Amino acid sequence: MKLPKNFFRNQFRLAHLKFWFYIGLVFVAVGEIILPRLFHGAHGHFWFENLPGWGAIYGLFSCMVIIVVSKLIGKVFLLRREEYYDS
Amino acid sequence: MTLEWVHPGLLLIFGAWALPVLKGRLRRHALLFLPAVALIACFRMTPGIYGQVHFLGQDLVFGRVDQLSLVFSYIFSIMTLLGIIYALHVKQVAQHVTALTYAGSALGVTFAGDLLSLLLFWELMAISSVLLLWLRRKPNAVKAGFRYLLIHLFGGLLLLAGIVVQWSQTGSIVFEDMEAFSWGPAWTLILLAFLINAAVPPLGAWLPDAYPEATVTGAVFMTAFTTKSSVYALIRGFAGTELLIWAGAIMAIYGVVYAVLENDARRLLAYHIISQVGYMVCGVGIGSSLALNGATAHAFAHILYKALLFMGAGAVLEMTHLRKLSDMGGLYRTMPITLGLYMVGAFAISAMPFFSGFVSKSMVVAAAAEAHLGWIFLMLTLASAGTFLHTGLKLPYYMFFGKDSGLRAEEPPKNMIVAMGLAALGCVLIGVFPELLYQHLPHSVYYVPYTLQHITSTLAMLGFTALGFFLLLKHLNPEPKISLDTDWFYRRGAEGAMKVIQGPLERLESRYVAEFYECLIKTPILGAANFLRNFDTRVVDSTMLGVGRLAQILSQALRITASGNAQHYGLMMAVAVLALCALLVIRSS
Repeated sequence: MKLPKNFFRNQFRLAHLKFWFYIGLVFVAVGEIILPRLFHGAHGHFWFENLPGWGAIYGLFSCMVIIVVSKLIGKVFLLRREEYYDS
Repeated sequence: MTLEWVHPGLLLIFGAWALPVLKGRLRRHALLFLPAVALIACFRMTPGIYGQVHFLGQDLVFGRVDQLSLVFSYIFSIMTLLGIIYALHVKQVAQHVTALTYAGSALGVTFAGDLLSLLLFWELMAISSVLLLWLRRKPNAVKAGFRYLLIHLFGGLLLLAGIVVQWSQTGSIVFEDMEAFSWGPAWTLILLAFLINAAVPPLGAWLPDAYPEATVTGAVFMTAFTTKSSVYALIRGFAGTELLIWAGAIMAIYGVVYAVLENDARRLLAYHIISQVGYMVCGVGIGSSLALNGATAHAFAHILYKALLFMGAGAVLEMTHLRKLSDMGGLYRTMPITLGLYMVGAFAISAMPFFSGFVSKSMVVAAAAEAHLGWIFLMLTLASAGTFLHTGLKLPYYMFFGKDSGLRAEEPPKNMIVAMGLAALGCVLIGVFPELLYQHLPHSVYYVPYTLQHITSTLAMLGFTALGFFLLLKHLNPEPKISLDTDWFYRRGAEGAMKVIQGPLERLESRYVAEFYECLIKTPILGAANFLRNFDTRVVDSTMLGVGRLAQILSQALRITASGNAQHYGLMMAVAVLALCALLVIRSS
């Protein structure tokens, strides 16, 4: 199998990016849990907003739910071939 | 109309007609001059009532200037200027005339103080914007234009019907808060008309149907005016209508769901207009001062970043002539500036801290929290993650990164980049200095977007949305398919319905309608016609004939006397004189 040009460099760059992406995620998650409590306590209107890591959890949950549910709706009901309206 | 007040909308509408007679550089200057003057006119305006015209016993108000109409007029006129800069390279002058007319009518809607002048500009907006579709001159655009026009004319008719009912019931056509007439016929009709233009599902399928078919530069105008002038009208007339809370929240998610399935870049962004307008509609429904401020601020911020996103997608379309994400990829190499500016818009729409969405969208969400609407809060937050997922991650990933499609498109013309740069600047300015926007909002409310909790939880939410995106990336590959929306009902459903009802209709026609027609209409009419014909031939014609014959006989008799011979006339005179003498003799004896 012939590898594309710059394969190793690209793979290295990708791994590098991934690493920093995960580090960043850890930072924002920890920041979200600790910082507001350190400075002025939790201020959410709803009880769930004050759960530790609420934003992170709900963000991941929302993203997954949107993708999975939409794809499901699409597959079952909505998606048609591109020429659907032309014929 | 008073002279000290210039209607910026009419200025654009009438000024646009000067463009076709100008050429080259002069035309470009005029193009920039018109929206610039309109912008200055808006910013110099002070609250008051201007431009009153007496018409049909009513006072038409073309210039109701208050805090709410002012802030909308600011963003509409800013947007006009940005859109014109973006379109400056376009040679087809009709596009400019149409775009300026469209923008002018949106300003007209904003300043309309009564329902009739509102209707006037409402209809003008529909007609001028459809031309932005037709000027693309592609068969699909023409067809989509007809569908777009039909929907909007229908909406306009609903509005007209509502106005007529309102007028006849109250005797007034002032455009004010409609709460007093809740669920009455006028209230319902006018609300429906507004909801059609705001693209609230299931009435909103015209938007993703039409916008991707518009011209590259026309679409940028379209993203701004129709839906947002409708948001303005909703704030003005229907603040606090509870129905709108749920309609808006559902709308916010509806757009996001469709965006997952979408492959056409501009159609994906069009679905995100629906989603974002959902926040505004929801804010109108909540109706508190904070919520209405939020809806207004979000409309303001939204116009800027959505225009920027459409400009970015339009630039790619202009340079590659491709519209499907599945055909693109790897454009970051040759279009880095477009990518960078697009990403500013993407961060703004995703409500990233220090971009405009963060300070506007959060107002609506906070208003939902303040009103203790837990489910609405969760729905809006979920849609927010979806927004970042599509406009911030999916679209740029497949357009600019992803698999290399081998495309090496250049950066778009300079004027396009300048317009995008200015819009991006606006997004960042509002994000960093929210007071710039807040001071113009209609209500004075204390709201601080930059709290530590808000910033950290937003960052975490966006970060983990990105994590979800990369985990599910292989399921997100755009498929070369289209998704059905409620426009199916009038594109295919109507066809199917016709097939189903054709048989019964035919039978109904031949058996009942035709029979009915035969004995109730055809026979009496034929009978009456026969009678009239007979009357005509027997009475009218023979009378005429008789008169003619009589004249003929008389003239023949006269011909004998009128021989033209002087001796005959002399003889007749002598006879007559003799006869007279004889008469005299007989009478006197």
